[in-house]
Amino acid sequence: MREDRVLDLRGIAKSFGSARILEGVELTVRRGERHAIIGPNGAGKSTLFNLISGQFSPTSGSILLNGREIAGRPPHQINRMGLSRSFQITNIYHRLSVFENLRLGVMARHGLRFSLFRRVAALRAVNEESEALLQRIRLEDRRDRPAGDLTYSEQRALEIGMTLATAPEVILLDEPTAGMSQEETHYVIELIREVTKGKTLLVVEHDMNVVFSLCDRISVLVYGELLATGTPEEIRANRAVQEAYLGEEVA
Amino acid sequence: MARVWQLLLFVLIMAVLIGLPPLLGAGLQNAMTNMLIAALFAMAFNLLMGQGGMLSFGHAAFYGVGAFAVMHLMTAIDRGGLSFPTPLLPLAGAAAGLLVGLVTGWFATLRSGVYFALVTLALAEMLHSLAPHWEGLFGGEAGISSMRMPWGGFIFGQVIEIYYLTLIWVTLSIGLLYAYTRTPFGRLTLALRDNEERVRFMGYDAHATKMIVFAVSATFAGIAGGLLAVSNEQANYELFGTHVSAQVVLHTFVGGSTVFFGPAIGAAIFTLFAYLVSDVSRSWLLYQGVIFVLVMLYAPLGIGGVVMLHLRHWASIPWQRMVGPYAGATAATLLMAIGTVMVVEFLEALFSPHYVAQRRQAETSWPAFERFGASWEPFGILTWGPPLLLLIVGLLILLRLRHRIVALWDEVQETAETAARSGA
Ligand SMILES: Nc1ncnc2c1ncn2[C@@H]1O[C@H](COP(=O)(O)OP(=O)(O)O)[C@@H](O)[C@H]1O
Ligand SMILES: [Mg+2]
Repeated sequence: MREDRVLDLRGIAKSFGSARILEGVELTVRRGERHAIIGPNGAGKSTLFNLISGQFSPTSGSILLNGREIAGRPPHQINRMGLSRSFQITNIYHRLSVFENLRLGVMARHGLRFSLFRRVAALRAVNEESEALLQRIRLEDRRDRPAGDLTYSEQRALEIGMTLATAPEVILLDEPTAGMSQEETHYVIELIREVTKGKTLLVVEHDMNVVFSLCDRISVLVYGELLATGTPEEIRANRAVQEAYLGEEVA
Repeated sequence: MARVWQLLLFVLIMAVLIGLPPLLGAGLQNAMTNMLIAALFAMAFNLLMGQGGMLSFGHAAFYGVGAFAVMHLMTAIDRGGLSFPTPLLPLAGAAAGLLVGLVTGWFATLRSGVYFALVTLALAEMLHSLAPHWEGLFGGEAGISSMRMPWGGFIFGQVIEIYYLTLIWVTLSIGLLYAYTRTPFGRLTLALRDNEERVRFMGYDAHATKMIVFAVSATFAGIAGGLLAVSNEQANYELFGTHVSAQVVLHTFVGGSTVFFGPAIGAAIFTLFAYLVSDVSRSWLLYQGVIFVLVMLYAPLGIGGVVMLHLRHWASIPWQRMVGPYAGATAATLLMAIGTVMVVEFLEALFSPHYVAQRRQAETSWPAFERFGASWEPFGILTWGPPLLLLIVGLLILLRLRHRIVALWDEVQETAETAARSGA
């Protein structure tokens, strides 16, 4: 059943100095599924994303992407292997235009990494794809503004757009709807649902309604340990989860 | 509309650069050659600093390496009978800049910020201390000198020929640097400056990218150094000096690192300034320093940035109300400049060895000194009164006008923001 596993985390541990942030994390993400990671603040969800995306190396354990070891590889290699992530704290090119922020990702996917002898304006496919992406995240009317001038929720939308720009097979979104209004959240969730069709999604999300409606499976991370993984129904019914995390809310 | 203006300005500048020099003497022709070279050097530097976000304190390394490479090629042509077209000599500078830029860039770009700056500083310093002891490569303390050979009907014996050769190379190089900004890699360079981390997570190898940016910058710095060698027919270790690295930083910031042509403007102005003032005053470096500090304090965008700001908001600037304060501020600045020059020159005269000797011979303990074709009493009210008055009056006017100008600009900014919000 190896083909079935896109992402395979085995015995992942991460310490910063003497602080143990993650411990013995075993997680399998199946091809094509939408998988949520939930857990209280400080549980280590972002750290887990940092390990998978190459920001840090795990202290121990292995991470397989399509069967290939990626633990400890630099971020750009992992991205080229088809995994792209967004950041919980908006991480954009503030002085570049919104369009340019997206185009940089599209360019990378087209392999234009050291392209010194072509005019960027003449790259039709790249520009068209970037425009389409711009429309998808509903920022057409902000196209030529510096990204730093956007409102918070506009920047969050851009953050997602930039993650999608490299057209990844595996998408990691770290709290994509944090700080958004209901309407914006709704739109972004529909967008995520749409763009992740046929792809694999790993998402950190606090809104339980979103998690339960969007995702096929859920993993619960508490104090650096994976408490449980299962379908929304299984997680809802799980005693340990209820006690540790969900509490009254879902019970 | 903006396009038309830009084109017009470009044509005008090119017309001056092509048409003016034949009307000038050899001294000014040479000064203009140096202006062009400094402009290219600063533009090359700013590719790394302004666009790539990497502040190098050792760009003299590539400038010098380019110059020495050209000198070696020139020598090989002159003595070794190698046949090579003289106008293409700067290619050796480009090649040397590229090669050294790639190797040193690999190391320097392992670090960012202050550490990057220190590595580049150390690199140039290393060459600076090594060169005087390396006869073969750098000609020892004396350096290398040689002769340009005639080629294709050109003698290359006159300053004006070298000027036009330099003009062609500089125009071509700056054109290429401009084209660079329009390539995918040029866009990536800006992204690198804004957010190196995100660049990585988009699939780009940030280190390799920085290394290439560094090498391209070094290549054009090498061309600038090569042009200097072609012009001077000599090069020595002082090209690697800290002052050379510092000058290019100064030129770039004064000209404006955020505007494409800013560094060229700063370099041209300062080089011309040095040519004109260094003959008349020993304190020209001090004046240059004062100008730099003032620009950094009151116009941190530099000359180019200030010009761009006015062009961008041209339509919404209330010119009728702005002209008065601007004229006043210009006049006040002029008053202060005159006052400053008088004070500096008087002090310079009083501390000069010439005056010290005069004091020893004179009967009175503080004899009058000569400056500006007149004689001045060291403690005279007529000596210090006028410059101090100029300084005080100028300062008072400036302080008053500053508020008005700032208030007017706040208005302009507000109009622009409203327009952006509603027009978007
Ligand atoms: N680079 C780091 N260095 C030291 N401690 C860190 C670092 N990154 C995260 N941590 C710590 O790891 C813990 C988990 O953080 P994080 O992964 O951001 O949690 P979550 O995303 O689940 O809210 C926190 O206590 C945080 O302080
Ligand atoms: Mg987090």
